[in-house]
Amino acid sequence: MIAITIPGRILRFLEQHANVAFAGTRDRDLVPYGHRVSGWLVEPGGQSMTAFVSEHSTEKLVESLQDNGEFALTVEEFPSHETYQFKGRYLRHRSVQREDLQVVDRIRGRFVKSVRPIYSEAPEPLLHAFIQAPALAVEFEVHEIFVQTPGPGAGARLVPPAEATHV
Amino acid sequence: MTLPAEIRPVLESGMPAVMVTCSADGIPNVTVISQVYYVDEEHAALSFQFFSKTIRNVRENPRAYVCVADVAGQVDWVLQLVFQRSETSGPTFDAMDMQIEAIASATGMSGIFKLRAADVYRVLSVEKRPYGNGPRSHDR
Repeated sequence: MIAITIPGRILRFLEQHANVAFAGTRDRDLVPYGHRVSGWLVEPGGQSMTAFVSEHSTEKLVESLQDNGEFALTVEEFPSHETYQFKGRYLRHRSVQREDLQVVDRIRGRFVKSVRPIYSEAPEPLLHAFIQAPALAVEFEVHEIFVQTPGPGAGARLVPPAEATHV
Repeated sequence: MTLPAEIRPVLESGMPAVMVTCSADGIPNVTVISQVYYVDEEHAALSFQFFSKTIRNVRENPRAYVCVADVAGQVDWVLQLVFQRSETSGPTFDAMDMQIEAIASATGMSGIFKLRAADVYRVLSVEKRPYGNGPRSHDR
């Protein structure tokens, strides 16, 4: 697999609309693990992304990434349910920086604004707490993007196009 | 491993959950699922609505990870599961079918969500993870 460039339409989705995300890894025995993601950004060039994994969700994360490098990230806009999954290879990880917290704050703000009409009675801190503090930044090279919006088309590969193959 | 009683209202709340599976060739897959159904203390059922990567994965590699958020309680419930069987009739299927219709109606997904089967999983482990810096509670 080779790196792809994230299309402009998906970039806009990631940067302006999406508000929740979750990542997946697996260990050497093919046991899957999930990791709550509080925020994300697309790196310059559009071929890799960084996911900010929340503090209580790092179990097996680094160990699995260093063992096999497989990483999947599903990003959704709630409540429209428009969803995409990004699959690729782990590049590196680092601790969270101050600028990363600003990214997470923006996404948290989008999330709270989107769910407020649905959960009008919910206390503000409850909604804010759903997007948790990030603990670790994981950068990965994007190889494939899949449509995950609920419906019969869910799972279709968007990039590279489904008929394309890579050596 | 048994599902604690306190998880049941969370599963029945209608909140979406997240499921992670892995193909036989080692590629993880993350998907949002609309329902985790409490079958009994040792089993949960997940809805099979579309012929998806998730469905293919668990038939190749039966292990699955599920995270259910209890937003009001400020905790995540993390389940490690192993796929056992698929049911297309019977009480579990009928109950899930009814719930799926209710969820579809409430979320504007009527006509899109349709239950093909109730996939039954055995619970291998349950973990309650409080939000923030709170202590973890393990039930292993």
